[in-house]
Amino acid sequence: MITGSQKPLKEIATLVEPYERILILGCGTCVKTCFAGGEDEVAVLASALRLYFKKNYKMVAIDELTIERQCENEFIQEASFKAGQNDAILSLACGAGVQALAKRFAKSPVLPGVNTTFIGIQESPGIFTEECSGCGNCGLAVFGGICPLTRCSKKLLNGPCGGSCRGKCEIDADTDCAWQLIIDRMTLLGQLDNLATYIPPKNWSTSLSGGPRKLIREDHII
Amino acid sequence: MIQAGQQPKITVFHCLNSFRETPQLFEGCQANIVKMACSSMTQDIYLLKAFEAGADAVIVLVCPEQACRYAEGSIRAKKRVTRVKALLDEIGLDGERLSLFNTMAEESVALRHIIQTTLVKLDTIGLNPAFNHYN
Ligand code: SF4
Repeated sequence: MITGSQKPLKEIATLVEPYERILILGCGTCVKTCFAGGEDEVAVLASALRLYFKKNYKMVAIDELTIERQCENEFIQEASFKAGQNDAILSLACGAGVQALAKRFAKSPVLPGVNTTFIGIQESPGIFTEECSGCGNCGLAVFGGICPLTRCSKKLLNGPCGGSCRGKCEIDADTDCAWQLIIDRMTLLGQLDNLATYIPPKNWSTSLSGGPRKLIREDHII
Repeated sequence: MIQAGQQPKITVFHCLNSFRETPQLFEGCQANIVKMACSSMTQDIYLLKAFEAGADAVIVLVCPEQACRYAEGSIRAKKRVTRVKALLDEIGLDGERLSLFNTMAEESVALRHIIQTTLVKLDTIGLNPAFNHYN
């Protein structure tokens, strides 16, 4: 999932202030799971903004809607009517959702209400961890399903640095050393010898350094 | 500062076991009482809606943490109240308007003290600035 957290209220208020009618549009998938932009967060933000504007004697009408996903046109079109009724849309989706809305609603300013942070998992209720950098060339098979590019602070590919201490990374005692995790897991799988193979420097041309990426599935294009 | 003749509005959210209304408990204010089956029903949106509806202060009454019938209800309520207090500060409404107390229904003296303390606090921080009292 893609994780994010809501921007501070004051920043959001500054973004929406120039408009008289604003639609807060939630996304019912990733950002709902990480409590940044689902139905509940839309309702709370709408209420907080109403109180904020009332307190400051400003009139901004706030409309609310949450759709299943903001990154797919099939769902985005459910917001068409409300988008047309409002002066701007405050999206509580990830950056992809915001841009998908901007493409779909040419005449509506689309504002981001969420800071998109990383691709991760829900480790336990309320705790989300970064797991994938979307590098475009997955090497998890080599590392026992633990990504050193994302989870090792130095992105080391051929074993730990000298700062690994009792399973923790030297950047802080709460962060697991990814290489300790990799070695433990490979040991458990009986595949520790796999790590003897030298891993060459990462080819970053498949990542963002190669410019914005595009995924094409010819069999789905008519 | 509360003006003479003004009756602050206090909304009280309470779980079934933490509160029982007694005569004169709400002397000097108008009370709106919301009964919850469990304190875990304390949700951010309900607390904010109470302020939107004109509450000058919101009090959440829940059982002591070790006495919560549903184990985690009181803990969840405390965490949500903490979050909404911070949000009220961001809004500029003053997080002090919202408070949580661990009480038992039979503690009528303590409950009375909570209401009176809230009224004293309101006298300092003023009525809800996001609500037009003349409407
Ligand atoms: S301590 Fe472990 S995770 Fe941290 S930088 Fe070194 S190898 Fe990477």
